Amino acid sequence: MKAIRGVLLTCDSAVKQILLTINEREGNSFIIEDLDDHHLVIKADEEYRVRKELEAELEKNTYSLEG
Amino acid sequence: MKRAAEGYADAESSSKRSRRAGDQDEYVDVDDTESPPDTGYVPRGATINLGALSRKLAAARRNADEQPSDSTLDAHRRQQDKLVSHIFMDQDFSWLHLKPDHASRPLWISPDDGHIILEAFSPIAEQAQDFLVAISEPVSRPAFIHEYKLTPYSLYAAVSVGLQTEDIIEVLNRLSKVPVPESIIALIRERTLSYGKVKLVLKHNKYFIESSHPETLQFLLKDKLIREARVVSQVADKSIKGNTFTTSKAPVKGDLVNPGVKEAEKKKDDTKAAAPGQPASDADLFTSVVGVDSDDIDDEDDNVHSFEIDDSKIDDVKKRCTELEYPMLEEYDFRNDTINPNLDIDLKPATVIRPYQETSLSKMFGNGRARSGIIVLPCGAGKTLVGITAACTIKKSCLILCTSSVSVMQWKSQFMQWSNVTDRQIAVFTADQKEKFAGESGIVISTYSMVANTHNRSHESKKMMEFLTSREWGFILLDEVHVVPAAMFRRVVTTIKAHSKLGLTATLVREDDKISDLNYMIGPKLYEANWMDLAAKGHIANVQCAEVWCPMTPEFYREYLREQSRKRMLLYCMNPKKFQACQFLIKYHEDRGDKIIVFSDNVFALEAYAKKLGKLYIHGGTGQVERMRILQNFQHNPAVNTIFLSKVGDTSIDLPEATCLIQISSHFGSRRQEAQRLGRILRAKRRNDEGFNAFFYSLVSKDTQEMFYSTKRQQFLIDQGYSFKVITHLDGLEKLPDLVYRTRDEQIELISSVLLANESDADLGNDIRAGEGDLAGTVTSKDFGLPVKVAAAQRTTGSLTALSGGQHMSYMEQNKSANKKLAREANTTRNKLFAKRDRDLASARKEARARG
Repeated sequence: MKAIRGVLLTCDSAVKQILLTINEREGNSFIIEDLDDHHLVIKADEEYRVRKELEAELEKNTYSLEG
Repeated sequence: MKRAAEGYADAESSSKRSRRAGDQDEYVDVDDTESPPDTGYVPRGATINLGALSRKLAAARRNADEQPSDSTLDAHRRQQDKLVSHIFMDQDFSWLHLKPDHASRPLWISPDDGHIILEAFSPIAEQAQDFLVAISEPVSRPAFIHEYKLTPYSLYAAVSVGLQTEDIIEVLNRLSKVPVPESIIALIRERTLSYGKVKLVLKHNKYFIESSHPETLQFLLKDKLIREARVVSQVADKSIKGNTFTTSKAPVKGDLVNPGVKEAEKKKDDTKAAAPGQPASDADLFTSVVGVDSDDIDDEDDNVHSFEIDDSKIDDVKKRCTELEYPMLEEYDFRNDTINPNLDIDLKPATVIRPYQETSLSKMFGNGRARSGIIVLPCGAGKTLVGITAACTIKKSCLILCTSSVSVMQWKSQFMQWSNVTDRQIAVFTADQKEKFAGESGIVISTYSMVANTHNRSHESKKMMEFLTSREWGFILLDEVHVVPAAMFRRVVTTIKAHSKLGLTATLVREDDKISDLNYMIGPKLYEANWMDLAAKGHIANVQCAEVWCPMTPEFYREYLREQSRKRMLLYCMNPKKFQACQFLIKYHEDRGDKIIVFSDNVFALEAYAKKLGKLYIHGGTGQVERMRILQNFQHNPAVNTIFLSKVGDTSIDLPEATCLIQISSHFGSRRQEAQRLGRILRAKRRNDEGFNAFFYSLVSKDTQEMFYSTKRQQFLIDQGYSFKVITHLDGLEKLPDLVYRTRDEQIELISSVLLANESDADLGNDIRAGEGDLAGTVTSKDFGLPVKVAAAQRTTGSLTALSGGQHMSYMEQNKSANKKLAREANTTRNKLFAKRDRDLASARKEARARG
């Protein structure tokens, strides 16, 4: 079996749930292993994109005066 | 790879260094110590900018050297301006030079948009504030820096309270750190030139257009429409001057004294203000412009000119004048009105009005006439008393419009309490009651929808409406003006003939931003109180606001992310961590001796919380008897310190005992609701105790939409100067004994019950139905409209043995409502003596019946 390059993510439980949902929506595209409540291993080359998407998701709940 | 990048960066910075070194030696050290960052998304721009900056600096140096200036300070300043100005782009105001003594002047005016920034910590900030409130609209007033905005309407209002153009500019200049920009002076001149120069006056029941500037009237008369509407009377032609309009003495304030104000005090002030001739010192000029008693400045021209307008064309003329940019001020000379009968009412001698209430009224009755406009006071600061005092000052027939039939009754009882009005003089017009006052003048209290309704009237209401429209009203009082739809408003204002209008509100915000409509329908904003100021003086309670962040448990958050419908809301309301936070806060504040109200717009969550925590609750479905019992217990029973209220508690239930407020769910981003709820604790009974603080908590589930709404809701209160502390962790929460939903199993049980709930359970405020005549969205506490739910019959099949308990089945009710327990207690507490009496009475009656 080919080895996959992974990155260990440490996050709070809410962020983990968001990541799980994104992962599910995209058909298990990036999560390699769900370790525990606060840790996930994801594919290394997806890291940047996942960060962006997470950012966008969190931004939805932020109120700004201009928005 | 990494190494290569570093090497590249090194090379870049070294090359830059060499270039810079070539330019100017002494600037080499600007950022040498800063090591270049190691990855690709480095602020490359930053380094380049720095290079540009140093180049610019060098250039500035050279320029300065080339043209030697008179003082080094100037040169230095100019150089600095050039250095930083490009950073600010369009907002570069470095050309506005500070006055030498700028430190002692408290404000700065933006030349672009008329925003005024005030240093609220300045020693003369208080006077400056009085002045700014008069000429501009407060945007935001936190503790140290206030922001105001000059708008056409605010300047209109300034003129309407008697300020003159030159005085405004003069005082602004005095207070400003920089010379008042030309653009602002132009704005002030332009707006004040036209605004307020023309007045519409009802005298002897004839409409007059009045102005102290004859040329303005000439101008208006050149307009065809206005010329045609003019009534040429014989009296006018007899004028000696042969003028086209009548000339009369301008009204002076004279001896009009607002009731409730000590006369002597007022007289003293008057004499002080009326000391002309002597050269005014700075302070004198200041108070004479800012002060309340100086409203009659505009009377320096003793002659006012006027011409009469045909009654039927008054609407057209008003509209035309607005188009011509000469909007008319409406004033009512009620003391000289001999046509409309006087209403003999006065404040009771014991009634004392507070200083800010007096200020607001003096803006209204500044020159002895009643101006139309809006007064803004926080909830609980005595808006009603302001309205009543105004009515007692005018002393003519008065119509009061409020939003619901409950507030109609509240107004009536307030009138009875504060003034000496008799029962015969005051009438109520609602869906249930249609009264007329006895005598030729009186007060009618009604709701907006009763008056504005155009269709399907009962015979009685029709007759009542004819009564309302047929007569002339001295004064119309509009309660909660910000909630009334514009169309309804117009209908009210056009059908009822009133000499003066006063709007009252606590929150001049609308989610649809239709506030400006009010400006031309009622009038300008006459007065807006500063919440922080009132709190500091003890008129309203000091409130500590806090937002408590409750993390979502993983299970709830998972479902939340998956759920797309309205049930999402239910999920973040029912978050077990929120339950815990709520329980903790209740416990904490009950131990401190606070009385707590918990608000939830969502009825499902309300019941779940109240049952779980064993507290009393009231929502739309709660019966009248039960409700009264609960409220009484909350007020008088030391064992009942917490009640849960749904939307019904937002406005109509008055509980001065409450000192702490917790929100668990609310109506999205409604700023008005937030302010109204805060108003529930602003009039706390204990507010004058030393060091007393009321508490206002919003529980918010983290990482959900609630965060967004919560921030939005707070904006209004933040602008009033409140600050919200964020609490991310409640200390000691984990150690609380009998903490609810401590284990994961319990939490999972909770989530399954939430998921089973109907979608309709997620609706907000579905427990209230407006009565006839109430505005949509307002709440009546007398009757919430919903019948108490009676459980429908259930049919099941089963064996008789099982149902009768033969198979060892027993029933037990879990999660009981605390309300029911209270009801049971209430039944058993009848004293033996009375119980015996009741029995005797019943038996006596029985005997009598048996005999008869």
